[in-house]
Amino acid sequence: MNDNKLKAKDFITVGIFTALLFVVEFACGILGFIHPYIVASYVVMIPLVGSIPMMLFYTKIEKFGMITIMSVLLAIIMFVTGMGWLGAPLIIAAGVIADLIAKKGDYKSFKLISISHGIFCLWVCANYFPVIVTAESYRKSLIDGGYSAEYCENLFRAINSKTIAALLVLCFIFGVIGAYVGKSIVKKHFEKAGIV
Amino acid sequence: MMKISLDPRTKIFMIFAVSFIVMVNAVTPLEWGIRIIITLIPIILMITEGKFASAFRFSVLYAAALLLLKFFISSESTGFISAILVGYCGIVAQFMPAMITAWYVIRTTKIGEFMSAMQKMHVPDGISVSLAVVMRFFPTIKEEYGSVCDAMKMRGITFGGGKVTKMIEYRMIPLLFSCVSIGEELSSAAVTRGLGAPVKRTSAYELRMKSSDLIMISIFMICVILFISAKYFG
Repeated sequence: MNDNKLKAKDFITVGIFTALLFVVEFACGILGFIHPYIVASYVVMIPLVGSIPMMLFYTKIEKFGMITIMSVLLAIIMFVTGMGWLGAPLIIAAGVIADLIAKKGDYKSFKLISISHGIFCLWVCANYFPVIVTAESYRKSLIDGGYSAEYCENLFRAINSKTIAALLVLCFIFGVIGAYVGKSIVKKHFEKAGIV
Repeated sequence: MMKISLDPRTKIFMIFAVSFIVMVNAVTPLEWGIRIIITLIPIILMITEGKFASAFRFSVLYAAALLLLKFFISSESTGFISAILVGYCGIVAQFMPAMITAWYVIRTTKIGEFMSAMQKMHVPDGISVSLAVVMRFFPTIKEEYGSVCDAMKMRGITFGGGKVTKMIEYRMIPLLFSCVSIGEELSSAAVTRGLGAPVKRTSAYELRMKSSDLIMISIFMICVILFISAKYFG
């Protein structure tokens, strides 16, 4: 049998970590309804907190495809929870690229893993896509939908076509930083316990 | 009580229809009406399955959010409390239909049924197995998180000394530990049952589209079409 093929065990690992990552995303997402600036700060929070399960996930990857499947699952979950399909191509593209980069280092080189994690974290930005692409109608629909005008003002001041570049860069940077944070936490807790 | 058991494929179609409608904001009464209908259907289905408590909880939550949104909040309201209220009502009124439908589907679909439906739709194994695990895993995470919190309470740790990093660490690490070991058990159980064997697997569940499935699909079809035409063609 081909050794590079993914097995049932790998699929289950992907499923578990996707569920964990989604829980992190959801917990951060609820905070965003307090103030729109928190929505913009997802790019900092989610990569940092999510890095802990992600780094543990990276230690379990040996073959190509696991990060790709994870990104497809995230895209499906984002669609089902009502985030729309505009971000889906970006999520999957980020997943494939992250997978390719990590594969280059054979899923062992930590330098490449941290870059790969940075790129994977760009999926967070995909959630902003509806805000930017359909700015005008989205704004109208938010106000019609019961959000206060103040909330919308702030939301669009924080997220628009000008700041998205900065947000993407921030997301990448904090993804890389998160990789180091996650790595040290994984080392502190899991390597000592012998799980990794 | 009459039990309506739907085909998993119908349920998946329901999820897609609902999340499509949820994505676009409702403005006119007709659009709100459609939204309320697609929220009520999963709740009624839940009742037929005997899940009274959660059906009641969901309907109270949704009704409260709708009423608050309708009578107490306008686009002029400002301030901290109203921001929280707007947040709560926004999240509930906007995403509750999708959440209710997803909850209904997850709670009432057996994993075997789900896998066999996925196989019939020719979804690649990687996606269907991982998705089944994700579906199966949310309740487990909730349960494990509860036990982690209990353990912390027993030792007198409530907020991790007020430090955010500690708060996250104290909850995340034990949760990860238990999830990883559950995952290991899950995969050995799955392999024992022949998952990943290089043959086409058969299923104990015979999937057939029944009349109730067709009725459900057509109701949701009509809702989606009505919604689109109301939204974009006047």
